[in-house]
Amino acid sequence: MLGSLLSGLSIGSVLLLVALGLMVIYGTMGVINMAHGDLVMLGAYVTVFSQRLLHVPFLLCLPLAFVFTGSLGWLIERLIVRRLYSRLLDTLLATWGIGIILQQVIRLTFGPELQNVSVPVFLTGETRVGGIGMPSYRLAVFLVSVALLLGVVAILHRTDLGMRLRAVSQNPQISACHGIDVNQVRAWTFALGAGLAGAAGVMVSGFNAVRPTMGSSYVVDSFIVVVVGGVSSLAGTVASAALLGGVNSVMAWLTNDVLAKAVLLLLAIAVIRFFPKGLFSAQAR
Amino acid sequence: MNLLRIRRFMLSPYTLLSAAILIVPLFVVDPFWINRLGLYLVFSILALSMALCWGQAGILSLGHGAFFGLGAYCMAMSLKLLSPDSLNQGTPFPLPDFITWNTPPGEALKLPWLWVPFQNLGFGMAAALLVPALFAAVVGWFVFYGGVSGVFISIITLALVVILNLVVIDQQPITNGFNGLNNLAPFDLAGVVFDPYGLPAYYLIAGICVLLLLGLRWLGSTRAGLLFRAVQADEQRVQYFGYDVAVYKIFAFSLSALIAGLAGLLFVVNSQYASPTIMDVSISIAVVVWTAVGGRQSLIGAVLGALAINGAQNALSESGSLVHVWQLIIGIVFVLVVVFLPRGLAGLGADLWQHLRPQAKAVEAPALVAEAELLSVPVPQNSHQSGQRQS
Repeated sequence: MLGSLLSGLSIGSVLLLVALGLMVIYGTMGVINMAHGDLVMLGAYVTVFSQRLLHVPFLLCLPLAFVFTGSLGWLIERLIVRRLYSRLLDTLLATWGIGIILQQVIRLTFGPELQNVSVPVFLTGETRVGGIGMPSYRLAVFLVSVALLLGVVAILHRTDLGMRLRAVSQNPQISACHGIDVNQVRAWTFALGAGLAGAAGVMVSGFNAVRPTMGSSYVVDSFIVVVVGGVSSLAGTVASAALLGGVNSVMAWLTNDVLAKAVLLLLAIAVIRFFPKGLFSAQAR
Repeated sequence: MNLLRIRRFMLSPYTLLSAAILIVPLFVVDPFWINRLGLYLVFSILALSMALCWGQAGILSLGHGAFFGLGAYCMAMSLKLLSPDSLNQGTPFPLPDFITWNTPPGEALKLPWLWVPFQNLGFGMAAALLVPALFAAVVGWFVFYGGVSGVFISIITLALVVILNLVVIDQQPITNGFNGLNNLAPFDLAGVVFDPYGLPAYYLIAGICVLLLLGLRWLGSTRAGLLFRAVQADEQRVQYFGYDVAVYKIFAFSLSALIAGLAGLLFVVNSQYASPTIMDVSISIAVVVWTAVGGRQSLIGAVLGALAINGAQNALSESGSLVHVWQLIIGIVFVLVVVFLPRGLAGLGADLWQHLRPQAKAVEAPALVAEAELLSVPVPQNSHQSGQRQS
């Protein structure tokens, strides 16, 4: 029972990790970033690259990937997404195209085969939590996602950028009237979301196969977490990651991994249909 | 007057494209290329179904691979049961070879119930059209009456194709999992054998493609087609005139799924297999890309987009390493088209044409809605709403 709970928590923390970046972009700008999964993939390849050629320690790859994919996100916003704010459905298509481009660039440079990432020794064993053994790496994933979550909360609620960002997400026109540079705020928001995707990619690379197509499953997963959680609430995203992690682990225990995934997606469709604002949305107007 | 109309019809892009599709075999004799061209026309039909659903009715489906794959699987199941291999399994009924392999020794061989009706080829063909259409109707009923719109439709359809793909791979005993259904019987209808490398199969596909091109053009000119476009331009206004918008959306979505299923059926005739790779996310992406690049609102654009992209991809993939570069080029072209040419290459062509003939005016979206308003029969309880509306 406790094992199942821990496994659910562990799946939930992965979901939270990959969904966080999408939440920042989608929740505040309404932009469907279909390249999100491929930014996660890029983060994983940053790890591969820095370990192999620069011999950077694993945990140091986190800030590296964050900065790299973040800058890329900034560029994507400046060059492409910025032109599409008036046609949101087209941002979905354009970012999808960007995802295809990223995937092909990686395939051309690193090849289509699987890549290995070496995890530091102190993360390979088991740690005992409350009398139960748990893979240390899972624990690390959990801790990193909590840390990133706290970081996002701090940025949103304690910094100047965060305040501007929240203002722009509520009403871009009035924010502009108050002297906020809306374009700049949006570019930084996109960069933040993309950077978080990159950081998630580093952690994912430690327990999952790194290959050019790995992103497509993450983008669907992240969307489901964000949509179930309610578009503009961080707490909702956390709750839905935990809930979906739990459902996934219970269903996987009852049937198998594949059907568990299918049930999860069906659940998400039902939530979109019956609770368009998400299960954990506090706004009731 | 009549002569002028005939001349206009003869010279219209629709007639020219249809004629080109039908006379191509006069110039291409290599059976390999006949088969290839047939495959591209199958993809053109799939792109037509996307143009109906997305370009006309404004429903961006990211899961059309699901309908295509369902159509293909239904057809492949029937052809699998008709294949010599299935007929020679030593059972009184036809049995797919993989079911024999999967049955543990000592257990009785039996045809899974799902396969039983597919012993009839007519059933398989009807199912290839109706299963996707009904599936789409149920999904459409579920989402459109719930007021789900825009981006969420895309996410839901994307999730659907992922689910279907997972289930087909998981249900290995019935579907043969990853390997899919191959080693099929050739399609034989009333004595005519449609050899995938022969002209009858090409003309079957080409004929259906031309009929759909003209039929969908006709649909666009009817009241229903006008309403599709009006819904896309301003859904709420159409609703205020007393139309049940959801019904029109469900109709467009189901018809589009039926055409995608038909494309799946023809794919099996042309390629003689069905596998999870033809009902996955990547084919759903591909059809959106063809349609977007060709021009989402133009039926001709959709057909040409599918033909051009697949043709170019094939030409480049002959040279091995260029395949991935090609994918990169397609990605870049797609992004550029979405950002700068939302109406695709067909829109670009139309703009150039307009430029050369400035007196002709394009029909703008507000005019469409106004036209729909003229057509609408005032419904008593709604009439005050359309009276209040300001334009």
